Amino acid sequence: MASENQSKLIAAFATALNIEPSLVKDELAYNTIPEWDSTAHMSLVAEIEDAFDIMLDTDDIIDMSSVQKAKEIVVKYGVEL
Amino acid sequence: MVLEGYQVRLEPVKASDLPMLRQWRNDPKISQHMLSNALITEEQQLRWFESIVNDNSQQHFVIYYKGAPIGSANIKSADGVCLRDSNCIEPGLYIYEDKYRANLLAFAPTLLLNDFSFYDIGVEKLKAVVLAENLAALNYNKKLGYEVVSEGPLIEIELEPLRYEVASKPLKRLLSRVSGGK
Repeated sequence: MASENQSKLIAAFATALNIEPSLVKDELAYNTIPEWDSTAHMSLVAEIEDAFDIMLDTDDIIDMSSVQKAKEIVVKYGVEL
Repeated sequence: MVLEGYQVRLEPVKASDLPMLRQWRNDPKISQHMLSNALITEEQQLRWFESIVNDNSQQHFVIYYKGAPIGSANIKSADGVCLRDSNCIEPGLYIYEDKYRANLLAFAPTLLLNDFSFYDIGVEKLKAVVLAENLAALNYNKKLGYEVVSEGPLIEIELEPLRYEVASKPLKRLLSRVSGGK
């Protein structure tokens, strides 16, 4: 389950940011690549919410500034990684 | 006048804010993006504060997030009249705290200022001038619906209410959530 969820999270990033899954590393951060801008961030929120059937609080949407942070946040919502 | 929403609070600049604002404004990470990046002295800043504190054609704010100051914002009448009678306003802001500079939260104070300008005052348009090399600011403003009206070393951009309404809707939705649970 954990590795399946890892894959889902990577797929969510790859889809929302329109990048190769291999580029989705923990250190990848908001606004450090042209593909991760505010529009992509909004898509990312939607992709993550759909993938894990959760609804993120605004604080978490603001705090989700890197792949590593996204992992920490989805775990808070009960997602096993 | 205090503006609050989208997770942030804008409070009018007070005399006690001046040392913090001067340190922020003189920091190269902020001043490099300003039209003038000359160092501002305490005396200059005091004269500026005395000139704006009772000037109803402009309003300057400190931006707070979760009770902590994170940046500065302002609105000025482009017509030089009282803000309430203005048809065109020039908003401006910077986020000082690194954590929130490249962050979705950076849109929140602008949404508040734009809502106030369009829906409370009822201005016809907003305008801004951005240094051509400041691509981050240009992209940021385009996300809010701004259109380029004049190019050069300084780029003039303008925003009309309808374009703002459409462009800002998804951002507002995300920044207006309170609690989760699906």
